[in-house]
Amino acid sequence: MAVDLSMPVLVVDDYQTMIRIIRNLLNQLGFKNIEEAKDGKQALEKLNAGKFGLVISDWNMEPMTGFELLQQVRASDKLKATPFIMVTAESKTENVIAAKKAGVNNYIVKPFNAETLKGKLKTVLGEF
Amino acid sequence: MAAAEAAQKIRVAMDQLRATGVRERPLVEVLDLSHQMADAMTAFFGSLDKSIIGEFRYLADFIQKARDEISGLQANDIKDTRLPGASVELDAVVRDTEKATETIMAEAEGLMAKEPTDLAAYKADVDAAMMRIFEACSFQDLTGQRVTKVISTLRHIEDRVTKFASALGVVDTAQEETPEDARKRELLLNGPAMNGPATTQDDIDALFA
Repeated sequence: MAVDLSMPVLVVDDYQTMIRIIRNLLNQLGFKNIEEAKDGKQALEKLNAGKFGLVISDWNMEPMTGFELLQQVRASDKLKATPFIMVTAESKTENVIAAKKAGVNNYIVKPFNAETLKGKLKTVLGEF
Repeated sequence: MAAAEAAQKIRVAMDQLRATGVRERPLVEVLDLSHQMADAMTAFFGSLDKSIIGEFRYLADFIQKARDEISGLQANDIKDTRLPGASVELDAVVRDTEKATETIMAEAEGLMAKEPTDLAAYKADVDAAMMRIFEACSFQDLTGQRVTKVISTLRHIEDRVTKFASALGVVDTAQEETPEDARKRELLLNGPAMNGPATTQDDIDALFA
């Protein structure tokens, strides 16, 4: 089944520049409905208030980290099926393993390029 | 005369006085005993002074050395001048970097939004945008110089603190973990690794295969 490019995508990062980069890349890939949050807490509020087809989140944010957001999403009956990609500079193996155990769908280490993001989106969402 | 020997001599003299009764002793003997006691006490306090003076001298030398090292640390210079200066430089680095990034991204987004209907006009727009991007990249020269100044400050502080700790034989004691450190440990907030990712994207992909 083709990916619905109009589905809302939530990009979570405390650096506006990174949100802008991901937003531009997603736009180039055809995604048009992109929302943003500056930390896990704000993201969780938006996720609970709406219906998102994908979360792309940084790890290191305050007051709620991306890892905590992932745990909250997977613990929620409403949100637990939402695809979740971590995009982060946290590159230690222990981080990757912890995220995988917590239920992340894929993991991109910063800095990354457009091809890497596109590849992971295809892995998680399917062809588009 | 050793302190113990002097004390013993005094004790013997006192016992002799008590045993015989001072009033019945001839004055010469009492004076003699008093003289012996005075000699014994002089010797006792003399021996006591020598060892204490040595200790006090050592302490005085140590305190003087500590004062010299604290003075050499230039703590006020570090607190009032060097650290605030480094902070200002780093603020400027962040500001310049943000400004340059904003310029570069705005130019790139502007070009992506353009429709190349008129190729000559489109090329002129691309050339102009590229020049503005080149200009924006000049921030790197300034930020490089600012970061070098900050590194110099940190090295200065490191040098002073190292000398201070070494001269006074400072040994670090175990510190209780702060709530902030505990949070970082529990949530695996390690931050970016030096010299590229600690785990490559290929290795991460292998974990998800």
